[in-house]
Amino acid sequence: MKRALCVCAACALLVVSARGQSGAPTLQVNPFWPQPLPNHWVFGSITGVAVDAQDHVWVVHRGADSLEGNEKGMMATPPTSTKCCVAAPFVLEFDADGKLLSHFGGPGQGYQWPQSPGGIAVDAKGNVWIAAAGLDTAPAGRGRGPVDPDAVGPAGGARGGARGAEAEGGGARGAAPARGRGPAAPAGPPDAHVLKFARDGKFLLQIGAPGKMEGPDSQTTLNRPAAVAVDAAANEVYVADSGNHRIVVFDADSGSYKRHWGAYGEKPTAAGGGAYDPSASPARQFRDVSCVEIAKDGMVYVCDRTSNRIQVFQKDGKFVKEGFVRKETTGATVGGQFGAVSSFGSAWDVAFSNDAQQRYLFVADGQDKKVVVLQRDTLAPAGSFGSGGRLAGQFLTVGSIAADSRGDVYTGEQHHGKRVQKWIRR
Amino acid sequence: MKRNLLIGSSLLVVLLTLAVGQFLLEKRVDAQAKGAVQAPRFEVDPMWPKPLPNGWYLGQTIGVGVDAQDHVWIIHRSDSLDAVEAAADEGTGECCKKTPPILEFDQAGNLLRHFGGKDGDGYQWPASNHGLQIDGKGNLWIGGNGNGNDGHLLKFTQDGKFLMQVGIKKQGLGPDSNSQDRFYLVAKVSLDNKNNEAYVADGYGNKRVVVIDMDTGKFKRYWGAYGNKPDDAAAAAAPRYTPGSTPSQQFRGPVHCAEPSNDGLIYVCDRTSDRLQVFTREGKFVKEIFVEPDSLADGSTWDVAFSKDPQQKYLYVADGRNQKLHIFDRQSLTELTNFGEGGHYPGQFYSMHSIAVDSKGNLYTTETYQGRRVQKFVYKGLGPVTKKEQGTPWPSKTSQ
Repeated sequence: MKRALCVCAACALLVVSARGQSGAPTLQVNPFWPQPLPNHWVFGSITGVAVDAQDHVWVVHRGADSLEGNEKGMMATPPTSTKCCVAAPFVLEFDADGKLLSHFGGPGQGYQWPQSPGGIAVDAKGNVWIAAAGLDTAPAGRGRGPVDPDAVGPAGGARGGARGAEAEGGGARGAAPARGRGPAAPAGPPDAHVLKFARDGKFLLQIGAPGKMEGPDSQTTLNRPAAVAVDAAANEVYVADSGNHRIVVFDADSGSYKRHWGAYGEKPTAAGGGAYDPSASPARQFRDVSCVEIAKDGMVYVCDRTSNRIQVFQKDGKFVKEGFVRKETTGATVGGQFGAVSSFGSAWDVAFSNDAQQRYLFVADGQDKKVVVLQRDTLAPAGSFGSGGRLAGQFLTVGSIAADSRGDVYTGEQHHGKRVQKWIRR
Repeated sequence: MKRNLLIGSSLLVVLLTLAVGQFLLEKRVDAQAKGAVQAPRFEVDPMWPKPLPNGWYLGQTIGVGVDAQDHVWIIHRSDSLDAVEAAADEGTGECCKKTPPILEFDQAGNLLRHFGGKDGDGYQWPASNHGLQIDGKGNLWIGGNGNGNDGHLLKFTQDGKFLMQVGIKKQGLGPDSNSQDRFYLVAKVSLDNKNNEAYVADGYGNKRVVVIDMDTGKFKRYWGAYGNKPDDAAAAAAPRYTPGSTPSQQFRGPVHCAEPSNDGLIYVCDRTSDRLQVFTREGKFVKEIFVEPDSLADGSTWDVAFSKDPQQKYLYVADGRNQKLHIFDRQSLTELTNFGEGGHYPGQFYSMHSIAVDSKGNLYTTETYQGRRVQKFVYKGLGPVTKKEQGTPWPSKTSQ
């Protein structure tokens, strides 16, 4: 009873909500979700959010590699703090109330943990899929080629940001934070694989291998895959194979190749769509394929992030339609203690509304710092929620999104956002 | 419809406040019976302030003060936004934009006035903004810690009208902790309205407290750690702080706060030494304490504020290394409790930098580096300390 009272108290405080049009769902942030993590754990850059059949919320993040010195003082040698903080485990499971239920992740026998995870999906059997998306290395949308591991490093400081940060340290010796001392990237070959685990973290399957990239016609290799979706009925896994500019489908148990396609259902090329130009006609190739989701009616939704568009396909790869989120959006690449971060594009991830028809599509628009609501049938705008900032209900780089059976929505932020936020359907 | 909702919500809040108040009262009575320690209690208000207009986005937020109307003023670093954050300025996205550095909010969290960021007639804007306090007449005082530049402080009216610059901004400036006419990298200026004196935490470059006349800016006195004469060479030669080492006879700095209390004591933050030193107004050393003395890097003592009772019974210490707001008994300088955790959620912190208290006892915090926000913590009265480390101070804590 007391607990219910408190939840209501929280609701009474909610003021941030969606600007809904034409009956689009109205969502309000729940600032008290999830419950504070134990053990002085903090999230790194959030790369994936998924909801399973029990409405549990699964989160994957980059961990210590994406934390600044000030955020992981307990991990420093010697520790700079005994009370703040430590990177949380890579994969965390929460219930709808925000209670932490389980966690796993990191290197193990028989598989390679990603340099940077991408999206996460939980299939109907409760298995957890994680894309090994790799680190940002060059401006996305400028034709990211195969990864050159040597190119990964602390890129030139964020304009302006460096000045203030330095000044905070001022002339005081020892006062400056550990800028530039953090590892730029985990050593090893670049990510090019997808991992499947049981929900308790037991390793089940790896498709592809780090450093092994054989181009967009390959039936066994990937190239920085950004996201996965599982078709339970067909027992197939769909991979948004970003570096190969394609969607590729495998058997969800054996990992054996089924089919693949590029933009408009055409044959993907290694060059992809090239540099994005808002005034040019739409590229015939994908640039960065950052999401794939399958609707109840069998339509496959694909984010071509830096082309600012969603393309819709049948499960066999036949092109159905495309829609644009915000055509003018480009982006930036900035450096930090954890290497380069690219923010290009307005179509990062999608989720469906919970009504039987899934009438609405929620699009995480990372560069514009909001969630755009589209009508799923026409891909026409129907509203948006969130705004840029660091307060509850605001976003920095919102890059992942998922919805539960109640219609509540979960968003994850990359870069310095480092939050999963819950949005309650009103 | 909205109105009904609002009324409904307000009613709910009132009922809840009553219920929670009753609950606290009962708990308090219980605790008093058992003789438990009492300390101020706070709950974060997660929806304060309201989102900024115009697609504005806060940078490193490095100063906060409260005026006589209980309006909350902050200063932040507009230029600290990176190209991803300032996408609208860069023409790469719809949001967001750099924001004027000084912003005023009312109690409801609405943005009122804003100004600053550029040189004006008779004054030089700091290369790097740092610290903000408001004097008894409502005027704003700010410092600056732009390396190799800022040797000054500035005083403005609330409308942004320039009143006074003390010291200079000049390229190639360096420390001189015995200068009588300029500073070096001022962290914060605090006001003793009764005696018309300003206490300058000087600072990141110099290693001293300077007292000036609030009207003329004339230097009156200054001192270093333990009331010693500041010695830049000795301060530079002092080894880095390590837990348990002999305390440095000079401030290591940054000298990050110098806050006068009602009873004439000055509380000085020697941040990377993890210590507070207490002085008389004349600079006579009284005592020192160490806060989270295991803290390295940028240290634990970032800012202080006092509770609103006339005796200022409680001392609040902002600890941006461990992300805690420590609550001390001011007389004994013993820590009673603390709250806060690392993180980006309400009630958590990334480098909590500055704090201030309003007339109702509510507490405001700002965060620098990648925190980039101001938060409000609602004062919930005194309550028994049941747990020294309270963690993230969410309203639901009252029922857990």
